[in-house]
Amino acid sequence: MNPEEKNKYQGRLWIFYGMLAILLSILYSGLFYRQLIERESHVDQEKIQNHRRILTPGPRGNILDREGRVLVANRSKFSAVVFLSEDQVQKAFTNHYRSLVRDYREEGKPIENYTKLLILSRAMVLESYLKTVNDLLGREEEVDANAISRHLNLNPLLPYPLVDNLTQSEFAILLESLPVESPVQLYVSTMRHYPYENAVSHALGYVGHSALEIESNMPGSNLKTFATKGSYGRNGIEKRFDSNLQGKTGTEIWVVDPSGYQVEPIQRIYPKKGQDIELSIDIDLQLAGEQGYDLYGDKGALIAIDINRLEILAMLSRPDYNLNDTAPFISNDVFKEINERQAWENKAIRGLYPPGSPFKLITAIAALKSGVIDDGTIFECDGGHQVGRRRFPCMGHHGEMDLRSAIQKSCNEYFYRAGLVTGPDNMSREAVYMRLNKPTNINLPNETARMITPSRQWKRERYDQPWYDGDTANMSIGQGFLTVTPLQLGMMVASIAKNEVYSHPSIIKQSPEQLAVRPAPKPLGLPTEVHKAILDGMDRVVSPTGTARAAIIEGVTVGGKTGTAQINKKEGNLELAWFVGFAPVENPQIAIVALVEGQNLNESFGGGAHAAPMARYVFQAYFDKHPEFKAKPEAFQSQL
Amino acid sequence: MPKKRLLSLKPFLILLSVAVFWILVPIVFKSSIRSVFYEFQAPLSTGASYVRELQNYWAARTKSKNELYDAGKDLARLNATYELMILENQTLKQEVERLEELLQLPTRPDYRYEIARVVSRDFNSWWQHLEIRKGGKHGIPTGAPVVFSGGVVGRVIEVHEYTSTVELLSNSHLRMAVIIAGDNRPMSYRGSGFQTLQNPVGIAEYIPNDINIDDPSNPPRIITSGMGGVFPAGLPIGYLRRLRPGASGMFQDGDVYLDKRLARLTEVAVLIAVEGNYQ
Repeated sequence: MNPEEKNKYQGRLWIFYGMLAILLSILYSGLFYRQLIERESHVDQEKIQNHRRILTPGPRGNILDREGRVLVANRSKFSAVVFLSEDQVQKAFTNHYRSLVRDYREEGKPIENYTKLLILSRAMVLESYLKTVNDLLGREEEVDANAISRHLNLNPLLPYPLVDNLTQSEFAILLESLPVESPVQLYVSTMRHYPYENAVSHALGYVGHSALEIESNMPGSNLKTFATKGSYGRNGIEKRFDSNLQGKTGTEIWVVDPSGYQVEPIQRIYPKKGQDIELSIDIDLQLAGEQGYDLYGDKGALIAIDINRLEILAMLSRPDYNLNDTAPFISNDVFKEINERQAWENKAIRGLYPPGSPFKLITAIAALKSGVIDDGTIFECDGGHQVGRRRFPCMGHHGEMDLRSAIQKSCNEYFYRAGLVTGPDNMSREAVYMRLNKPTNINLPNETARMITPSRQWKRERYDQPWYDGDTANMSIGQGFLTVTPLQLGMMVASIAKNEVYSHPSIIKQSPEQLAVRPAPKPLGLPTEVHKAILDGMDRVVSPTGTARAAIIEGVTVGGKTGTAQINKKEGNLELAWFVGFAPVENPQIAIVALVEGQNLNESFGGGAHAAPMARYVFQAYFDKHPEFKAKPEAFQSQL
Repeated sequence: MPKKRLLSLKPFLILLSVAVFWILVPIVFKSSIRSVFYEFQAPLSTGASYVRELQNYWAARTKSKNELYDAGKDLARLNATYELMILENQTLKQEVERLEELLQLPTRPDYRYEIARVVSRDFNSWWQHLEIRKGGKHGIPTGAPVVFSGGVVGRVIEVHEYTSTVELLSNSHLRMAVIIAGDNRPMSYRGSGFQTLQNPVGIAEYIPNDINIDDPSNPPRIITSGMGGVFPAGLPIGYLRRLRPGASGMFQDGDVYLDKRLARLTEVAVLIAVEGNYQ
């Protein structure tokens, strides 16, 4: 090549080199940009692609009674599971799928749907695992092929349950019989356990399962996450104090392969159990109430209240249900069965009933406070009272009655007359003052607010009708438009016992600090002597000549009031038996309200015969535990 | 020259071809070869164990008469104590049987004991397996529990004509259902595997959260639950020494310290169910 030609090519070469340099610099710039400038985002992306987060809810806290006895705990639920993402299981799936395809081809069968074949092969593999378990346990469980596919699509990292709810001996058999390296593993999760079964069922409530609520401050928030379902309170204490009972969720972060199956864990935070809650319930009293109810009633409610601490000592509502039937979940059959019995409702705080004769105490207080009667006022009872064109009956011909004997005999006529002279406005005002028109604000969910304390204005607004004397007569004996919950009557009797008006009872055991900041009670406003007259009347109720002699406790002065209310229905009347009481009369510690609903229309039902005896069981249990509160009746009588 | 090089590679080529052949042969063939090899090797180990025992016998013969006399006295006392204990046990057994009958409890599996001397213990798997001098000829079944005076030794995993292999309690493949003495909630126990020059240790899982080690000098005692159907109930396993939170948050895990005598076993007893099957 001559120098001229060489120069000619040399120039072109320089151009080529220049272009090459430009292209290389673009390439290197791109590489620089990707590797150094965008490094962080690539690292993040790599994590998102290769890391998976598994969340395990922490066990819920226990619920204890006031003496620390466990009412609700967690029970381990053992299951035999298969981790579908494990190598040996995956290999078994693949091998079985291949052999199925081979068999089809050898037999000349056309394969229309390979996916179905894949699902079938997975089911067959799991069926072989399940057979081992069935043989060992003598069970007859079956595999659901669609459930396996759903599980693989939604939660490939979570264990697939072959057999749930293993008994302790089944767990032990599998533990000793399955090799450590078996694809079938034993897995433990938690479920609620209720040692006392039906007791306190409505107040305790139950839990349901739904998607786990994920806190934003948990590690790996940007990663694809698989979470076991969390358990959340659906009713009662479980619902009201759900945030306290909830455990701390555990987190595991795994490196996964391109198929999404776990390779190795890189971070593990163990779940933690939630906070325990101590209730004011005393299970001994609760069981005593249950025992009484078993003997004397099927439907209704019973509540025992610690008057000085305003804590609920026992709360039962019938019909009830076995809480263990609600765990680990409420099956359709169980739901239907409880629904048919109408057992879901907590009648203690949601049941609305006419208060009947216990309301006579309010009538008396209203009459005394308005000054229309005093404790010595006498009304003649001749078996009924004519109001307008209607005669309002009394249960007997009691003759001359003063306040004490009227309460003792539950004389309707005395209270018709007292109510009529007091007037509906005063009675209504007194009932409102006693908070019978609003919920007690107990720390339980779903307390009803639909109770009725009628007044002239209320009747006008509701029925567009004037108030009649007949309405006053009805109201004076706790009938007519009046409705209350059993808990309200319980608070009413606690208030009357102490000559103060209370609200905000608690089903949680209160600490001294909490007790110190309780809202101060309002004075009931009765002079001491007049208050004593009412207590004396109530004391006579629970005496050999009173209507609640079935509630007499040896060595204890019990004050009470029985009642029989009617619910008018088209087909006839349904009777309700009430008993409200407290003890000891001279130093009130415990108040009880018991309500029994009549079973059949027009069946005679009485507070003295049906409600008072079951209250006696609870009084007896209380004073067996607290003999120091047993009063000296002579001393009290001399005071009166 | 090339031929000479080829000749020098010949041993490697043979080794390679044998290895390839071994990889390709079916598993059934491999396991039968292994079994045959074992049966040939077994008499050597058994013979060696007899020689060891003879050696011990002659070593014992060197003891003086006074030493033997003292040992005899001690033995007589021990025998007297044991005879008393046997009488007590018989009475208790009768009482238990009577109560079980009253409560209509199902009969428990009955076992007979087959005493076996320990033949050998591979140094490489000291805490994994041991060989005993009884096998299929003596009615030893696979899966039978093996015990000694201190509690559980393990379970039989392989049975040959005159020898058997026992999987030890410290083997990480051995798993069983256990309980804490005085508490009937079942927990899982498994060996923790190879522990060079350390005391044998196992791992307990699913320990309820209310279990604590209040007094380290008197730790909770782990015993067999009897629920799994393999091991009878009440056999000692070891003591629970350390607790830590479990993965579920509901249970604890813990270390179980096993009996140190497991390291120098010379004689064990195989429990053979009189009417029972092992899985």
